[in-house]
Amino acid sequence: MANAKALDKRRKSVRNIRKITRTMELIATARFKKAMDRAVAATSYTQRITEVVTNLAKSGTEVQHPLLEDRQTTENATLIVLTGNRGLCGGYNGAVVRETINHHQKLAEQYDNVNLLISGKRGITNLSFRGLTADESYTHFDDQPKFDEVKPIADTLMEQFIAGKLDRLDVAYTRFISSSKQRAVVETLLPLGKVEGDDTAGGGTTDTDYEFMPSAESILEEVVPTSFRIKLFKCFLDAAVSEQIARMVAMKSATENADEMIANLSMTYNRARQSQITGEIMEIIGGVEALKT
Amino acid sequence: MASETATKSIGHITQVIGSTFDAQFEDDQLPAIYNAVEIIVNDSTLTGEIQQHLGGGRVRCVALGSTDGMVRGQECVDTGSPVSVPVGKDTLGRVFNLLGEPVDGRGEVKADEIRSIHRSAPKLSDLSTNTELFETGIKVIDLLTPFVRGGKAGLFGGAGLGKTVILTELIARIASAHGGYSVFAGVGERTREGTDLWLEMQEAKIGDTGRSVIEQTCMVFGQMNEPPGARLRVALSALTMAEYFRDVTGTDTLLFVDNIFRFSQAGSEVSALLGRMPSAVGYQPTLATEMGALQERIASTNKGAITSVQAVYVPADDPTDPAPATAFGNLDAFLYLERSISAKGIYPAVDPLASSSRILDPQYVGDRHYGIARNVQTILQRYRELQDIIAILGVDELSEDDKQVVHRARRLERFLSQPFLVAEVFTGKPGEITPLEDTLRSFEEICAGKWDHLPESAFMYVGSVDQAEEQAKKMAEG
Repeated sequence: MANAKALDKRRKSVRNIRKITRTMELIATARFKKAMDRAVAATSYTQRITEVVTNLAKSGTEVQHPLLEDRQTTENATLIVLTGNRGLCGGYNGAVVRETINHHQKLAEQYDNVNLLISGKRGITNLSFRGLTADESYTHFDDQPKFDEVKPIADTLMEQFIAGKLDRLDVAYTRFISSSKQRAVVETLLPLGKVEGDDTAGGGTTDTDYEFMPSAESILEEVVPTSFRIKLFKCFLDAAVSEQIARMVAMKSATENADEMIANLSMTYNRARQSQITGEIMEIIGGVEALKT
Repeated sequence: MASETATKSIGHITQVIGSTFDAQFEDDQLPAIYNAVEIIVNDSTLTGEIQQHLGGGRVRCVALGSTDGMVRGQECVDTGSPVSVPVGKDTLGRVFNLLGEPVDGRGEVKADEIRSIHRSAPKLSDLSTNTELFETGIKVIDLLTPFVRGGKAGLFGGAGLGKTVILTELIARIASAHGGYSVFAGVGERTREGTDLWLEMQEAKIGDTGRSVIEQTCMVFGQMNEPPGARLRVALSALTMAEYFRDVTGTDTLLFVDNIFRFSQAGSEVSALLGRMPSAVGYQPTLATEMGALQERIASTNKGAITSVQAVYVPADDPTDPAPATAFGNLDAFLYLERSISAKGIYPAVDPLASSSRILDPQYVGDRHYGIARNVQTILQRYRELQDIIAILGVDELSEDDKQVVHRARRLERFLSQPFLVAEVFTGKPGEITPLEDTLRSFEEICAGKWDHLPESAFMYVGSVDQAEEQAKKMAEG
């Protein structure tokens, strides 16, 4: 049995950790609500605009836009990775990093040149440890990503794609499915026509007849890039919500674990303390008894 | 001895307290301290040992047998010498009690010489200065707590952690490969274990010679059913026999003691009865003296070596308890068995961080061995430090470097387990004797990350790391 003083010291430090994790849990809960509202607000808009674009893309041959083209060339691919700036959020960053590594390998087999764009300090350090260095990295996205911050990135990528310098754009992020379910996924954003995933393709019907005013080109010119921007923005929003949820859950269980540990340590401490007292009393009594005879 | 009673002084019992008694002798015929006295109780002879002279011809003795049936006024005969035991080759293959009487039912032992169990430790100038590693084929021992040839090794552990199993394993490994003589002292442990060992030794063969281990071994038992006086002296009796082999035959002698704590415990049981004031945790004030007197005699001299392995019970898993703490200082190699490791199902449950050896030093084992051992300990130490964080926050929160440390530490931890020869009937796995070179290479490669891809369970109960690879393949096949 370790000495009581060391046990008490350890218990104190666990208590301090518990305070921190408990606070972080509360903060994460508050932030999650805000981020969630933003994400939900964006969801219906994104879905609708994706539907429109998908339908347009499928409706007829006359609809042409460079962003919708299916490329046959396999020269340049870009992979955007969305992770958090901070840790203490359970497996959130780890899961995205795992997906990234798997996907990066696949891309590297198909494409000559794979660019890596990483957002979040955790992703940057984790991936560089595994030998994947970022060609470009962002650390300014916090738990409330702004559209104005995402827009320049989206615009640059679009320009590259239209100019033919980019053949495929993938995003690895944590998709927010419900408040109890998030999953690390890789989604292809460019070319836009190559839309995968259940929630985006499901809504539209290909039979819809469209009349274009003033012309198909001008509408597409407006709608398609917006759709791309908003989709990329949605990824950022999803990632932000998921991070808060992950942190909330991780901190909740950390707090519970700390509680359990404190209980165990308290029990051992009390036992050590009591046995120390018993030992001392016994020694004194023994000494007195021995002196009597 | 008894025939010479005419010249021996006779006293009378004046007081019996538990396992000690007082006797009154004539003032001018006082027996010397440590002399044996004999009393006829219920038609059998009870031997006592003089511990104190109380003045006025009274002496206080410790009974080396049961005091049941003793009455005041009984005659008490001084034998004129301390308890003496037969020594020499005639003792081989036999089982004795502490008085040197055979208890295996095979008749008298006709030894050429008998020796007193109280002797002084070898002189400083006679001590051997040789330091050589003693290979056991057990990975964790050879790597982290290498035994010294002619040195002393201790197995510390709480109840039920496998001290006796490791000791029996060492007997099976060392004694069967060893040409010299072995002496086993059973001090205050279960009689059943002693019997098992005796039977096992009869079956076990020494190398290819076809002779059984017992022919080179003598055993001395004073088990837990015996009174404290017997448990207090039985280690000395065994040691006296071992000393003879060392001094006279000059061979390497092995001395196994199970369990040295019982020696201290017996001392504490009689201490208060002898009127000494209890010291820390109720132990006798002479704890260190008694232990020192015993341990100093277990030494290697210029004439021969005694390599000893001692089991030490750790009461309440508290290594700071005075009894194990006193034994600790006398040892060259020191294995601490840890309950949390045995709870994981890893046997031998040696704590790689708490165990150590005097010769784990580049000077004796070489730079490579030392480096590997320290590396293993560093990784395991880091893992232990991280354990609180993992328990609270989970393994995901660790940095990449720390994750790798944890990954390897978990493999190392499991790789420290090893199937035992004597445990074959329980585990169903044949025992593994791993040569030191294989052990070093295996640990070196695991630390370097060569085997990171194998699943953790592949490292359980294998010899070298190559066997871990095989086990992983088998597991993959299902």
